[in-house]
Amino acid sequence: MNIILSGVGGNGVVLTSRIIAEAAIREGIKVRLGEVHGLAMRGGTVVSHLRLGPDAKGPLVPLRKADIMLSFEPLEAIRQMKFLKQGAKVIINNEPFVGVDAHLGLSRYPDVCRVIDQIQKTQDLVDVPATHLALEAGGAVMTNVVMLGTLSASRELPIRREVLIDAIKSRVPPHTIDRNIRAFELGEKAFQEWEAQRACRNG
Amino acid sequence: MAMKKKSKLLGGAGEKVLLTGNEAVARGCLEAGVVVAAAYPGTPASTIMERLGEVAPEMGFHAEFSVNEAVAFEVAAGGALAGVRSLMTTKMLGVNLIADALTVITVTGVRAGLVIVTADDPQQFSSQCAEDTRFFAMLAKAPVLEPGDGQEAKDMAKYAFELSEQLELPVFLRITPRICHSSFDVELGELKAPKRDGRFIRDPKRFVMISTYSRPRQKILFEKIERASRIADLNPWNRIYDFQNGKIVGKGQVYNTFGMIASGLTFPYVEEVLEATGLSAKVLKLATTYPLPENLITEFLREMDQVLIVEENDGVTELQTRALAQRKRINVRIMGKDEGLIPRSGELNPDLVGKAVEKIFGVKFVEELTEPYLEAEKELVSNRVPALCAGCPHRASFYAIREALRRKGHGGAIMGDRGCYNQGAYEPLEGMDTCICMGASIAMASGVSHSGTNEPVISVIGDGTFYHAGIPSLLNAVHNRSNITSFIFDNSITAMTGHQVNPGTGVNLMGDHTGFANLKKIVEACGVERVHVINAFDTGKLIDTMLEEIEQPGPSVIISRSPCALVVERQVRQRKMTLYRAEVDLEKCIGCKVCMKKIGCPAFGWSSDPKEHLEILPHCNGCGLCVEMCPFGAISVPGKREGALGITPKPREVRK
Repeated sequence: MNIILSGVGGNGVVLTSRIIAEAAIREGIKVRLGEVHGLAMRGGTVVSHLRLGPDAKGPLVPLRKADIMLSFEPLEAIRQMKFLKQGAKVIINNEPFVGVDAHLGLSRYPDVCRVIDQIQKTQDLVDVPATHLALEAGGAVMTNVVMLGTLSASRELPIRREVLIDAIKSRVPPHTIDRNIRAFELGEKAFQEWEAQRACRNG
Repeated sequence: MAMKKKSKLLGGAGEKVLLTGNEAVARGCLEAGVVVAAAYPGTPASTIMERLGEVAPEMGFHAEFSVNEAVAFEVAAGGALAGVRSLMTTKMLGVNLIADALTVITVTGVRAGLVIVTADDPQQFSSQCAEDTRFFAMLAKAPVLEPGDGQEAKDMAKYAFELSEQLELPVFLRITPRICHSSFDVELGELKAPKRDGRFIRDPKRFVMISTYSRPRQKILFEKIERASRIADLNPWNRIYDFQNGKIVGKGQVYNTFGMIASGLTFPYVEEVLEATGLSAKVLKLATTYPLPENLITEFLREMDQVLIVEENDGVTELQTRALAQRKRINVRIMGKDEGLIPRSGELNPDLVGKAVEKIFGVKFVEELTEPYLEAEKELVSNRVPALCAGCPHRASFYAIREALRRKGHGGAIMGDRGCYNQGAYEPLEGMDTCICMGASIAMASGVSHSGTNEPVISVIGDGTFYHAGIPSLLNAVHNRSNITSFIFDNSITAMTGHQVNPGTGVNLMGDHTGFANLKKIVEACGVERVHVINAFDTGKLIDTMLEEIEQPGPSVIISRSPCALVVERQVRQRKMTLYRAEVDLEKCIGCKVCMKKIGCPAFGWSSDPKEHLEILPHCNGCGLCVEMCPFGAISVPGKREGALGITPKPREVRK
């Protein structure tokens, strides 16, 4: 199984990838995790290639061979879309990070609605207001844990819920465990609501 | 140093843990019982020594960040000559610096394992060029091992010490960013307690390499490297795999005249491509890329009609294999970079290997991007332009330098160096006109100043780089009367590679408090008469001083000093204190973007509600540089004491 995690520096892409990777090892699964953070300063592009299971060879996912993408930021989602299979599950936090370079006209930030539409043309997109849910749980810093909750609820991962939660617990400061679990649950709930809405639309 | 938690590196034998390649290498060195370990930080290899430093005091070995790579290698070589296992880690550019000692240490040989871990960077994620360390290894005649995953990175690091002792030669372990920064499930072996029982035993004919003593040892070196090839023949990591319909089968089951040679990470790429396409082939997985296991390869080549060599960086294996085939008179078609099948530049990946295999066999591996993907790439994807961090003192210094040149009506020449401040080369700051290598700024500025130019000649170097390679250039500038104004951006840490210690930090990797190197006194001792130490956020003073100094003959130095914003933020957080934040007065902001155009701080956002105006993002740390940029006085840092420069924590609230 191939998973792409993408975002900007400060989103917690690296931490989130390692949480899933550590949970996978606890499940006895072979792990290859490739990270790119040449300039992992706040606001720079960050991407992880996470490969699980016996087919995981090197740490890089070939073009259009990823099954899932967890993206913390819309532009970073579309940037890594080339790695996704047709119909891959894309869990996206709809909170753009527009850098000062875009305000200065040195780069351009795309229209978020167009980004979402374009991804939906080929992918199974789950849109989560993760930053807002994280704030509800107690802080924007837990946005990644909300996303993990959504990913877990999607039943795409070969990792049990409690193993994933244990891996989160061992990676976050002890006094924030309750808040993080709350964030995880809000993420799970967001997926269930998305599923219900979809059933409603299709039904 | 702050929060002590149990290092992952100290897990028990048999445990399976998630380790980055760098951590795996570090663990391998602990399993080898390393005693002296030295490095200069360089991405992507820096974390090897950081991790070792975290456990060195309690395990009882010596780990250090040295002032530069040449020093680090010589420290490690000293350890190995005194009979203890020693390690030096570097990025490949550091190998350029160690060449002087390396080419002689291979002649003397070593008395205990000496391992050089070098991280090559074929994709240039963080390097000025993409040189291949293997050429240096060939130059000096030191064997090279290349691991292909985390487990091998750990195991080969350990083996490298054994091989070094077997041959009495330094041994390279060559890795790349994809090994360094990727994580793997790694099964740990036994830790070995470091035996700190070194002693230097005199042997002048071996260690005093005056020509009379050195000349006879050349022969010994050639014998050693020939022996290294025979050892490589028997190294179980150099192995031929038979692929039948994409699956590895037992040896000898496949008769095939198509072969591939893969090394390091390219082996898993080859494996993936063969598995997906269901092809049959014999694949020689090469762990020793210098010297080649000649007998093994000869045997392999004799069975083949065609061989594709898959390697990153230069075609070093290809070059040696072609020579070998010619020498052994083997009629085989060798393909690789020379044939244009494997790209000459950039890192490899499964798709690039797949493309080469597609061309040879007409099979399909690469999933081409179809219309919606291409449309996304073309219309929606845009690269983000890197910038200095919010609150970075270098932003203030660069602004001051450009502003002074603007007032003078000159473009000037700003000869840059290598460090965090490279992010200041981008628009809008454009604070540097060159970036060549560590320490080049001052000497190149000297050269420009002697060229007859009428423009002011400025150089910019960070404190870490100044200690690393700037001091001789400054001494030279004084001695040869160069007319330059040299800035030293002093944040008292090696920030770019992740805040490693340097002589100006006051503490070393072992956690000893060492006192601070006195930068001003060092500059003065070089003979510079006009030295100024100015707070980097005091841009008015920086500009005035620079305008004065560029009129003066001879070299002058301006030390622009302020701690790294990220270090201050971390310290403030640890003390549970808070920072000020800039605010925008909506009445006064007219949305002119002058602030952005002048300093481009990443904490600048934009809002159209209720009108076009600057918005300050949550990661602003209140450095206050933007306040003086606004022509309308729309920006302020509420609560901050008047005259306080840079990032200032809020005073603790007194409980009533």
